[in-house]
Amino acid sequence: MRFKSTTGLAAVVTAAALALTGCGSGGSGSSGGSTNANGKVDGTGKTLNVLVGVQTQYPEQQKQWQSDIAAKFKAQTGADVKFETFASANDELTRIQTSVVSGQGPDIYGLGTTFTPTAYATKAFVTLSDDDWKAVGGKDRFNQAALGISGPDKDHMAGIPFVSRPFVMAYNKDLLAAAGIDKPATSWDELAAQAKKMTKGDTYGIATGYKDNYDPWKFIWAMSVQAGNPLVDGNKLKMDDPTVKKAYETYFGWLTNDKVVDPASVGWSNSNAVAAFASGKAGYLMMTTSSSIPTLDKSAVAGKYQYTVMPTIAPGETQSKSDAPAASILSGDNLVVADYSKQKDLAFAYINLITSKDEQLNYQKIFGDLPANAEALASLTDPKLKPVADAAAKSKATPFTGAWGDIQLGLLNVTVQSIPDLAAGKVDESALDQRIKDAQNKGQASLDRASKG
Amino acid sequence: MSTDASHEVRLAADTAASRAPRNTDDAGQQPGHKGGPRRKGLSERNRPLWMLIPGGALMIIIIVVPLLLGIYMSVLNLDQYTLRKWISAPLIGAENFVEAVTDSPLLHAVWLSVSYSLLAMVVTLPLGVAAAVATQNAFKGRAVIRSIFLIPYVLPSFVVATVWRTMLQPGGIVDEALATVGIHVGLWLNGPQTFWTLVLVQIWASWPFIYLLALSGLQSVDHEVHEASALDGALWWNKLRYVVFPYLKGPLSLAFLIGMLHHINNFTLPFVLFGVPAPSDVEVLPILTYVTSFQSFRFGLSAAMAFISLVLIAIPLFVYLRAVKLDDADTPGGKK
Repeated sequence: MRFKSTTGLAAVVTAAALALTGCGSGGSGSSGGSTNANGKVDGTGKTLNVLVGVQTQYPEQQKQWQSDIAAKFKAQTGADVKFETFASANDELTRIQTSVVSGQGPDIYGLGTTFTPTAYATKAFVTLSDDDWKAVGGKDRFNQAALGISGPDKDHMAGIPFVSRPFVMAYNKDLLAAAGIDKPATSWDELAAQAKKMTKGDTYGIATGYKDNYDPWKFIWAMSVQAGNPLVDGNKLKMDDPTVKKAYETYFGWLTNDKVVDPASVGWSNSNAVAAFASGKAGYLMMTTSSSIPTLDKSAVAGKYQYTVMPTIAPGETQSKSDAPAASILSGDNLVVADYSKQKDLAFAYINLITSKDEQLNYQKIFGDLPANAEALASLTDPKLKPVADAAAKSKATPFTGAWGDIQLGLLNVTVQSIPDLAAGKVDESALDQRIKDAQNKGQASLDRASKG
Repeated sequence: MSTDASHEVRLAADTAASRAPRNTDDAGQQPGHKGGPRRKGLSERNRPLWMLIPGGALMIIIIVVPLLLGIYMSVLNLDQYTLRKWISAPLIGAENFVEAVTDSPLLHAVWLSVSYSLLAMVVTLPLGVAAAVATQNAFKGRAVIRSIFLIPYVLPSFVVATVWRTMLQPGGIVDEALATVGIHVGLWLNGPQTFWTLVLVQIWASWPFIYLLALSGLQSVDHEVHEASALDGALWWNKLRYVVFPYLKGPLSLAFLIGMLHHINNFTLPFVLFGVPAPSDVEVLPILTYVTSFQSFRFGLSAAMAFISLVLIAIPLFVYLRAVKLDDADTPGGKK
C-alpha cells in the first residue's frame, strides 16, 4: 500500500472511513426549524454549521465578524452558528466531497463562483424554490448580474450571491500622464499601444504574472468572449476557434512582440505583478481586485493609482461582439445550502441576515468585497470603488457546466506548457496549435461526460 | 519526507543495529545452521498467534478495506455527477483501465516517477555514506556538524519546496549567483529542465535519510573488528571497502527501498515547486492522480491509475525484496 499514490490513497481512505461511519450519527438538529407566530424561524437550542473560506488578509477581523454575526443570529432565532473555515480551494473540495458522500457536514457552504457549476453538478445542494427565495429575502434583493452563475437557468438556481469580487485593472496615473495618455485603454489593441509608450528602461507598460495559477485563463476567456466566442456552445467546446488562438497570441505577444512586460514575469504569480506595480515600475496592473487596495495604499504608488475596467474590445476588433461586455468573469462568493441539511429554514434565515443591506455594507467596510445586495451596492459612494462596481455590472458568467473545471485547466495548461517558449522570446505557432488542440480534445471529452451526467 | 519517515528511520536503525552483530554471533555460534533442514523450535510451534488479532484487524480496516474499495472504485464511472450516490455509480468494468493506459499520460508519469526516484537515489547513496563516514570518528565540533547535516531532513517538505521555488524563480538568487560566474541556465520551474530541478531538490532534501541509516550501520561495527583490521595492517580504503561496507549492506538496501518508495510517492515537493497543472516534464504519478481526482473529478479513472501504478511498482519491488532478502524470515536476525 505504501507505493500507492498519496492522493489516491487519501481519496480511498476517506471513502472507506465514510463507508464505515456513514450510517452512524444523524447530526445534531433533529427536525427542520419550526416557524413561530411572528414568521420568524425558531431555532432555539439548535446549531447551524457554516463553512467559509478563511480571510488570510484579515484573520482577526474575520473572527470578530463571525462572533458579531453569530450573536445577531442568536438574538433573531435563538440558534447558534458554528463557523468552520477552509484555507484553500483543495481544502474546500475535500470537505465538499466528504460531505457529499456521507450526507452530513456543514449546512451552508461558501463557494467561489467558478466552482459553483461543479458543486451544482453533484446535485448535493438545494435548488431554491420560490418559497426558498422568499426565505432569503427575495431574488430581487440581489444585484441581478451576480445571479448569473447561480444555476444553469433562471428556474434552477442553487447559488445565493454573497459578495462580488470583479476583476479590474489598476493604472499608474503618473506614468500614463508622462507618456501623454489622457485616459486608460478600452480595447486590447489600445492597451498594447499605450503600454509600448510607457515601456522605458526598467519600467514596463503592463504588469502581469504568466505563472499565476488562475490569471492566464481569464485573459483568454475574456478576449474570446469579446470576439463573440463564449467557448462553450451547448455541448460543443470551441477552443479550436481562431479567436482563442488570437487571444493566446495577444497575451503572449505582450512579452514576445510588444515587449511591454518584464521578461521575468514568466515566473511571476499575481502577487509578484502587484509588487512590481506597487514599486511604480509598471503602467498597468492587470487582473486585480479591490483586495489589492491595502497593499497598494501602503506602497510607492499610494494616491497615484486608480482602478478601471479592463478592455472590453477583443484584439483586432473595433467593438465588442459579445452580448455582455465581459469586462471580468463573474467573480465572488455564492452560498449554497446542503441538500442533506435538516435545518434548511434556519440556513435560509441566516443567509437572509447576512445578505441584508446593512450587513452587506458592514462586510464591505471590513473586507473590501462588493455587496451582492443590490441596494447596498447602489449606496456605495467611495470613488475608488466606482470602477469596481462598474466592473461588477459588466461581468459575464463563465459557462455553467460541470465540465468547466476541466476546460479552465486546459486553458491554463496551454500557458503553462508555453512558458519555456515565452522565456525564449518566441512561441512557436505549430506548438501552440498543438497545445490548443490537446486542450480542446480533453475539454470536449469532459463536456461529453457532462451532457451524459 | 521528514514526519512520516521518522518512524521508518527508527525502525531501520533498530533493524540495522540488531542485525549486524547478530549476524556475526550466529555465524560464530551455530556453524552449519544454514546447511541442513532446520527443525522447528519449540517457540515456533506454540507461538501465540492470537495476539496478532488486534493488529490484524487494524490492518484490515486501514489497508485491506481501502485497497479493495479503491479497486472497486476503479471499475466505476465515478465523477462529480455520480459521486453523491457513489455506491450505485455505473459499473464500467475495464474502461477506466483502458483509458488510463491508452489515453492518459499515465505511462509517461510512471516513467518520470521511477527515473527521477532512481536518479535521486543513485546520487544520494554515496553522498549519505560519505557524510556518515566523515562524521564517524570523533572530532571537535562533530555534534554540530551532525546536527547541520540533519537540517534538510527536519524541514517539512512544504518548506523545502517553497524555499527552493523562491530561489529558483527567474531572476531569483540562483540565477543571479550563476550569472556572476557567467552561467545562464534558463528556466528552472518550467520546461524540460524542471525534471532536473526536481531531482536536484529531492537530492538536497533526502540525502540525510541515507546518512542516518549509514550512520546506524557504521555504529554497529564492533570495536574488535576495527582493531582486528588494524592489526592486519589494513589501510583506510581497504578497511572501508572490505571491513566496514559489508556492514552497511543491510541498512543501505533498506534505505534504497524506503527512499525509492518515498520519492515515487512524493506529492508535496513537485506540487509546491511547480504548481498545477504541472509542466509536462514533471507530471509525476502523484500529481497526475491528484489532477485526475481533484481537478477533473474523475475518481474512478484516478483509482484505476493508482492501481496500475501499484502493480507496476510492486513487481520490481518484489524482485528486489527477494534479491536483498530483507523480508526473508530464514535469515538469521530476521526473526527473534
